[in-house]
Amino acid sequence: MTAWNIRPIASALWRNRTGALLVAVQIAIGLAVLVNAIYVVKQRVELIGRPTGMDTANMIWVASAGFAKDYDYEATWREDIAVLRGMPGVKAASLFSNIPLSGGGSSTGYQARPGEVSPKETIPGNKYDVDEAAIAALGVKLVAGRPFEASEILPPSETFEDAPQAIVTKTFAKKLFPGDENFLGKTFYNGLSEPTVIVGVMEHMQGAWVGWDDLENVVLFPRQKNGPTSIYLVRTEPGQRDAIMRDIEAKLGGSNPDRLLRWVRPFDYFIDQSYLRDRNMAIFLVSVTTALLAITALGIFGLATFNVSTRIRQIGTRRAVGARRMDIVRHFLVENWMVTTAGIVAGCGAALGIGYWISVEYELPRLDLYFLVGGVLAIWLIGLAAALQPARRASTISPAVASRTV
Amino acid sequence: MFGYYLELAFRNLKRNPGLTALMIGAIALGIAVCVMTLTMYRAMSGNPIWWKNDVLYAVTMDFWDPQEPYWDDYPDLPPEQLTYRDATAVYASAIPKRKVIMHKAVGIVSVDGQQAKPERTPTRVTTKDFFAMFDVPFQYGGTWTDAADSGPEPVIVLSRKLNEKLFGGANSVGRRIRWNDNEFRVIGVRDHWMPLPTFYDVNNGPLEDPEDAYIPFGWSVALELESAGNMNGWKPEDIKNYQQLLNSENTWIQMWVELPDEATRDRFQGFIDNYSQEQKQAGRYQRPLNNRLTRPDQWLEDNQVVGNDDRVLVGLAFAFLAVCLLNTVGLLLAKFLNHAPITGVRRALGASRKQIFLQHLVEVGVISSIGAMLGLALGGLLLLGIRALYTFDPTESAGTQAIAQVDVTSVITALALAFFATIAAGLYPAWRIGRIPPASYLKAQ
Repeated sequence: MTAWNIRPIASALWRNRTGALLVAVQIAIGLAVLVNAIYVVKQRVELIGRPTGMDTANMIWVASAGFAKDYDYEATWREDIAVLRGMPGVKAASLFSNIPLSGGGSSTGYQARPGEVSPKETIPGNKYDVDEAAIAALGVKLVAGRPFEASEILPPSETFEDAPQAIVTKTFAKKLFPGDENFLGKTFYNGLSEPTVIVGVMEHMQGAWVGWDDLENVVLFPRQKNGPTSIYLVRTEPGQRDAIMRDIEAKLGGSNPDRLLRWVRPFDYFIDQSYLRDRNMAIFLVSVTTALLAITALGIFGLATFNVSTRIRQIGTRRAVGARRMDIVRHFLVENWMVTTAGIVAGCGAALGIGYWISVEYELPRLDLYFLVGGVLAIWLIGLAAALQPARRASTISPAVASRTV
Repeated sequence: MFGYYLELAFRNLKRNPGLTALMIGAIALGIAVCVMTLTMYRAMSGNPIWWKNDVLYAVTMDFWDPQEPYWDDYPDLPPEQLTYRDATAVYASAIPKRKVIMHKAVGIVSVDGQQAKPERTPTRVTTKDFFAMFDVPFQYGGTWTDAADSGPEPVIVLSRKLNEKLFGGANSVGRRIRWNDNEFRVIGVRDHWMPLPTFYDVNNGPLEDPEDAYIPFGWSVALELESAGNMNGWKPEDIKNYQQLLNSENTWIQMWVELPDEATRDRFQGFIDNYSQEQKQAGRYQRPLNNRLTRPDQWLEDNQVVGNDDRVLVGLAFAFLAVCLLNTVGLLLAKFLNHAPITGVRRALGASRKQIFLQHLVEVGVISSIGAMLGLALGGLLLLGIRALYTFDPTESAGTQAIAQVDVTSVITALALAFFATIAAGLYPAWRIGRIPPASYLKAQ
């Protein structure tokens, strides 16, 4: 006797094909959605989790806007920075032109040699005007060179001007000087062919726009931010960020009537905002996919229950002529497995089709086949689990039912 | 007869409460998820000025780098903003019925003699037609004149929200306020206005609120204001002062025109093409001639206000609804076949196939109506959840409030979905049950 009785099970299934077909289509959709949802979610989670290169958990940004006609910008920021640096628990405070990862910033094209160059040789750099405390305040690691010195910091410029020295990320330097390993002392140029010498190289730092291909092309220039709005970066000792934020509000909030302390915010505020859509997409995909699989499992359960309830007499008869309980359970599990597998076969096609559409839509690499394998296994398990209870109930039907009339 | 079918339907629903609840739940969930994503999608992708879609045009001109297009991926599209010199030159044309050049700035607003903290206020620096062109409603007062634009006169329009903060919502026309420490006179208060998305300036996020203050365009030069949005340039230029910025190849001005008919449109297109040809002879505009007048719907598409995520979500919602409906079809089939012996008796007693079909269809109708009702309520709850997910900063979130609202369209969507769900889910089981020969069910199993 063939242990699995595939043929009679298949023919019984074929006689009631409508219900089975409906469930198979649900499984196909479920598989296609599951595989692609996990693929997109994984990609979003990786995007959000990329290393920033900075000590983001202990960083605070402060913005102050002067608005009065006789507002003294320089005196105000010098006093603010002195107050911030004097606060206990503050590791470093620095005057910054823009906030990384905030979606706002400035970028220009740089080149490795002066004069006219082709667009290919122009490397975009996201630039920041910073002061001598910047490296300490960002918590970035220098792999070569040194931080800026106080004597190098230039007065503010209204003119998008660069500076004679810069600290750049390794990524940016490598793009400018492909093939080189030592970037210290090298000179690069802006579009006006003004030279800048690299005095420091950061191992890693992310720039302003999280969706930008050149997110890690960052250039720091030793220059004071121009007025009348000042932005300060404050780095605290671990764990003291929130308390220090309250202190800053209290100390700077009322210190000067000619300006408005616009906000004091943790770095996470800007990072979360930049990734808000990605985070929401992930939450949404996970919840809808879970609901969809739950409903599919209910469908499988419903079909199995229905099949059992319409075949009580046949089951009784089979038991009466010698089928064991195991045989009945196996019958329904195999029947269900056949339906699930039919759905999975169709679902693989749909998953790949949707995967292709998503890869075009998002310009992502094609769906990884491991996801498909994982999805198939998951659906098999879900199908098995959903049919288990009805199959076991079927096995408890007494052989005596066979001889009873309804 | 209908009343009797209805009674039968309710009786049958009560017979298998578990199965009934499953079916209603599946339909409700499917409809809720669809209502939620469609409402969001509509809010994001809708054309907020559809009634003027065939007369409003965004003006863009391609003066970009001869070596490289502005967009790597869309080489046909000119930059989305204009340079100051081009914007002011084209603005001089008398062809458009209405025309506006503008940019966004940020000002600190305070009122003398008031204790309230000064307000950081996103401000639109614009020519006077802005309000008439985009049908911006006024609560008090109105807009300024051409003379105020060029003067410029110190007049300001406030948003209803800012007017409530500064003046407790009273008619403040004629009151004085300070904008970046310059005295301005309130000339109007715009009423609640929330175009979604704020299409007129692509620097705005799609869910960003419109600005809270409006001042004449001439103040841009008078106060040497810079754009609070993106400023893009292609040409390395040594810009040392504001005048050089105005003459530079940097884009930061948005321009829209209202052209009432095709003839005017063609004339204005001719005018800007002519202008760029003149500039070409002067050494600018070295790219192929490409000046565009773009209607709002096309503009939204070109600027990709609707993200890929939104399209994927709508697809997902329909896949979800499909699964819910398939599920319901399966459950209905099982339920009807379970009752087949009763149906057999009714057939044997003389009920026609059509009557059996109609009776079961009524039953399906009852199930999906309840499902739709629950789905709509659930969709509303889900939208509240979405609002929480997208509300980043509760003080700056009118846009999210507006997307996450169940409105008439949502109700109609839910009802239409429920109707089609009935047809889709109910037809086959009702038809199938009607076709069963009565004799087979009168026999013992």
